[in-house]
Amino acid sequence: MNKIFPYLKYKDLFLQLTLREIKSKYKQSILGYAWVVLVPLLNLLVLNIVFSFVFRVKTGNIPYAIYLFVGLVPWTFTANAISAATSSLIANSTLITKVNFLREIIPFSAIAAKLVDFLLISIILVIFLVIYHIPPHLSLLFIPLIFIVQLGLVTGISLILSSINVFFRDVENILNVFLTVWMYLTPVLYPPEFIPSNVRFLFGLNPMTGIINSYRNVILYGVLPPWNSFAFSIVITLTTVLFGLWLFKRNEKSFADVI
Amino acid sequence: MMDDNFAIIFERVSKKFRRGQKLLLKEALIDIFMPQKTEPFWALKDISFKIKKGETVGIIGNNGSGKSTILKLIAGVMYPTKGKVVVNGRINPLIELGAGFHPELTGRENIYLNGTILGLTIPQIDERFDEIVSFAELGDFIDSPLKHYSSGMYMRLGFSVAIFTEPKILLVDEILAVGDREFQKKCFKKMDEFKKNNITIVIVTHEMESVRKFCDRVILLSDGIIKDDGRPDKLLSEYLKLIK
Repeated sequence: MNKIFPYLKYKDLFLQLTLREIKSKYKQSILGYAWVVLVPLLNLLVLNIVFSFVFRVKTGNIPYAIYLFVGLVPWTFTANAISAATSSLIANSTLITKVNFLREIIPFSAIAAKLVDFLLISIILVIFLVIYHIPPHLSLLFIPLIFIVQLGLVTGISLILSSINVFFRDVENILNVFLTVWMYLTPVLYPPEFIPSNVRFLFGLNPMTGIINSYRNVILYGVLPPWNSFAFSIVITLTTVLFGLWLFKRNEKSFADVI
Repeated sequence: MMDDNFAIIFERVSKKFRRGQKLLLKEALIDIFMPQKTEPFWALKDISFKIKKGETVGIIGNNGSGKSTILKLIAGVMYPTKGKVVVNGRINPLIELGAGFHPELTGRENIYLNGTILGLTIPQIDERFDEIVSFAELGDFIDSPLKHYSSGMYMRLGFSVAIFTEPKILLVDEILAVGDREFQKKCFKKMDEFKKNNITIVIVTHEMESVRKFCDRVILLSDGIIKDDGRPDKLLSEYLKLIK
């Protein structure tokens, strides 16, 4: 069994490392784990004020606040998980130089810890959907599929960046800038119609575009994901995961030499 | 296939490091335009040896002689540049006691964390939990965060988790730094037990005294080469010459 699926052997380690991430982060603060929910809510409040009152972004029948929230929640997971996973190997350098275990477990558990945050804030999102009278559509059944594609994309990018970061610590520093730029290039704060039609195909090359638009379609409008851009996201995700695994496996043999 | 009588086999193993590895993009970029010599540094040069199952071997040598590199190759965290390393049996590295310990978490939480890092499953830890705690002599501190522990308590906890993983091969790095005298005695008693149970032990140290008392065999390293290999009493004088 372990030969076929080596990850099974490491499920307890994966669980413990994930728990360590979650427990340690908020033990010192008074509000503790509530921050996981408070930070995105405060973010939402600020962005909502700026974009709906100052820039007056129009989102049709759907109020801007809920339109924004549906895009912001998955985006936050993508950004936080990639950021945490990228620095995870360096943060666990003592483990890497002393103990032999499946190295992917380290970035995977960093992602898993952010996944718990994502689930918690999703509960708040559901409450908001009820408050804003968004009815539960049948198309919600697509959420698991969209989520798996998103998780795959996050995992692939994390494998690539975390293994490069061991050799070039610059990655960690430039990443935050990159994530900010990436958010503005993804229709998170604005609807996709805002993108001028002559450059829209360029925005379509961004795999997060298809994912965010799909979430909005199935949650807010009760329609199917936009298949063109979503299919493109699936292709990019598969490529990224395969390339990420290959690169990680190739690099991991020299982790202990340089870390 | 490997001979089943051996726990560890090194076959013409060499390990190269690059001095001045580029860890920043800036340096790597400068390097493209103004290439500097990154002289390769051979930590181990064409080393071969075999360790039998149940043998207790001390590896001694000066700083930079390649001792720790050998341990890391056995532990499987590093890979040889040339040659082959074969290891037979579950390894437990006592290289760093308390690998992955987190200061904000309690002793209890850290036992589970450290135990799984060393390859135990949660049910296995449940089973051994009481033994681990009593061996570490932590008492009521078990539910306090690790940051409130003294360094002795910290080491004791790390050692306890490590020995209760029931390894087939035990790798020990400077073991004698653990805790106070009383606890050291206890550690040695436990190591004697391991020895009797036919567990392979590899110890890396500067301290010849403990090697002479404890090991069946000593490998003397200098500058990445095996200078001598044999019974400890015979090697002692050789070693004293070397460190002068």
